[in-house]
Amino acid sequence: MDGRPSEPDGFRDFVESRSNALLRSGWLLTGDWPSAEDLVQTALAAAWPRWDSLIRQDAPEVYVRKIMVNTFLRWRQRRWTGEIATGRLPELQAYGDAFAQIDARQALIAALDRLPARQRAVVVLRYFADQTEAQTAEAMGCSVGAVKAHASKALARLRDAPGLAELMTGGVAS
Amino acid sequence: MNTEERQLAEMLHRVTPEPPRRVTVEDIAFRLANEAGTREYRKPRGGRREYREPGTGRRGPRGRGPRNPGRPWHRGWAPALAAASVFVVAGVSAGAAALVSSHQGHHATSTADGPPPSSVSVSSTPSTGPSQPSASTGPTWPPEQVAGGTWGAQLINRQAFTPGSLAVAPDGSSLYAISQGYLDRINAVTGEVVNEVPYTSPIPGFPNRPVVAGTAVWVLTSYSGTNAVLAGYSLSTLAPAGTVTVPVSGQLPSQPQGVLAGGSDGNLYVAAGSSVAAVNPQTRQVTKRITVSGQVSSLAVAPGGGKVAVAVGAFQLKTYDLATGSQLSSSSMNFGGAGGNLIATSGGVWGTVGVGMTQRVWFAPNGDLSQVVMVSQGAGAGLYTVPTSGGGAVWLGGSHSLACANPDTGQVLARTAVPTDHSIVEYFGNVTVAGHGRTYALYQNQAAQQSGVATLVPPAVCSG
Repeated sequence: MDGRPSEPDGFRDFVESRSNALLRSGWLLTGDWPSAEDLVQTALAAAWPRWDSLIRQDAPEVYVRKIMVNTFLRWRQRRWTGEIATGRLPELQAYGDAFAQIDARQALIAALDRLPARQRAVVVLRYFADQTEAQTAEAMGCSVGAVKAHASKALARLRDAPGLAELMTGGVAS
Repeated sequence: MNTEERQLAEMLHRVTPEPPRRVTVEDIAFRLANEAGTREYRKPRGGRREYREPGTGRRGPRGRGPRNPGRPWHRGWAPALAAASVFVVAGVSAGAAALVSSHQGHHATSTADGPPPSSVSVSSTPSTGPSQPSASTGPTWPPEQVAGGTWGAQLINRQAFTPGSLAVAPDGSSLYAISQGYLDRINAVTGEVVNEVPYTSPIPGFPNRPVVAGTAVWVLTSYSGTNAVLAGYSLSTLAPAGTVTVPVSGQLPSQPQGVLAGGSDGNLYVAAGSSVAAVNPQTRQVTKRITVSGQVSSLAVAPGGGKVAVAVGAFQLKTYDLATGSQLSSSSMNFGGAGGNLIATSGGVWGTVGVGMTQRVWFAPNGDLSQVVMVSQGAGAGLYTVPTSGGGAVWLGGSHSLACANPDTGQVLARTAVPTDHSIVEYFGNVTVAGHGRTYALYQNQAAQQSGVATLVPPAVCSG
């Protein structure tokens, strides 16, 4: 008895194919990889026991993203000071254009850090995860109107964020 | 979407980097197993947990039992066990390390009517590979004033840890320490051991502190022959985070004392025979190797990350430029033994020389042993005398006094006497300061058969 439930069919394929995208969303939400990983693991651990049901509904990714966003919002609400891995490694050796990449990432995270948690979540779900307004509203447990309002306010704030306008109109490749 | 929204979406996809590693099903399985273990323990059969003395069914004395009934009694201080134990301070085994061996094992069966063991999926693994963690929870004991309240000392945990093995997470939420056969993660607030993973130091008798780098805590799992092997464990769960094998140049020293260190650049540094290897904990690759003339018995990276100090033979202190690998300085001291347990501060290099009763701490301004100052005399405290750095000070433990010193000058800033208990010495050492300023130390009182992690409130002068 090792305490683990048995692995559901299709779970591994999903994790292998989608963990990259989920982690990137997590990074946009939290601003660092350890927290992003924690967020994705939390969501996937919640999805595991319900996997068969989620597959039947053809909505595993919607569910996982919903858990990620709600977990993120909960952390922010509580101003979590618990056991989150916060170690930030310096970027690996960076030369030439790599410096610009790092600057771009830092500018992006700094801009997102200026947003309230719900606006940040809308930005990630709508514009990075390419979810519709209805899907975003469902994931966040709010109305479509609220999503639109959050998106509008977020865009206004991002417009004023230092360095972000240049990134949006061209900028550095990842 | 309008144009601005499309630009934002395109930019998010373009700028967001690829993750350094992917989440795996195994990660999730470990997490679920840990959560299951925690839930399992939190709902023990029979309801309320009580601590009872093994074999008797009697309730133990308050404050004297184990902090974790999942590992009942055996890791606490049992009078009968303590009476039969041997505590050796002097000798090559470097003193107080013997404390740990005086206790019995971890995972005994549960007591007659105690709760079930809390461990989940503990597996025995080869010594060079990462082991699987188990989660455990237990009662948190109220903090108890110890040593007459020396620097506000309060014991928050009652367990025997290897002296010199205490480390802290960057966010200060967790402590890590080595106990007999295990690496433990300790809740820094409650003192509760919340995860553990099987671990045995490959260098018994010599301290090699766990090192926190990135998202993992790293320990040496093998240190012999042609390789040094490191294993990393998640800071938050102790789930395996990977291993790194570092090939050794030449031969390994016979008395390695502090051969794994972290640098401010996020890298790990390992004394690998007649070289120092830099390991990127994220990629788990050896990224650099600096050749040293002689076997490196200890190393420390300067706070700025620009240079590394190494102890060689019996003994020389050398410093090397980390960027170029060139030797910057070399000096020697004849004290009849190897230098060890190096730490580097803004003002120079600190370390120990001698073992057991004769172990003492020195400070070499600018890493120059010709200017060496002895900052603590041999106090018979073994590994409790190993200096540590944190919170703007260097900390010196032992059985006679606990002190903080100026990291620039070596000057002792404050010192307090460690009392005796019915003429039997008590020990404080391995002072560790979390990022938020909370200060911890390992404590042991043989007379009261108390040991564990204590919080301290040092005087303000210690915080620089």
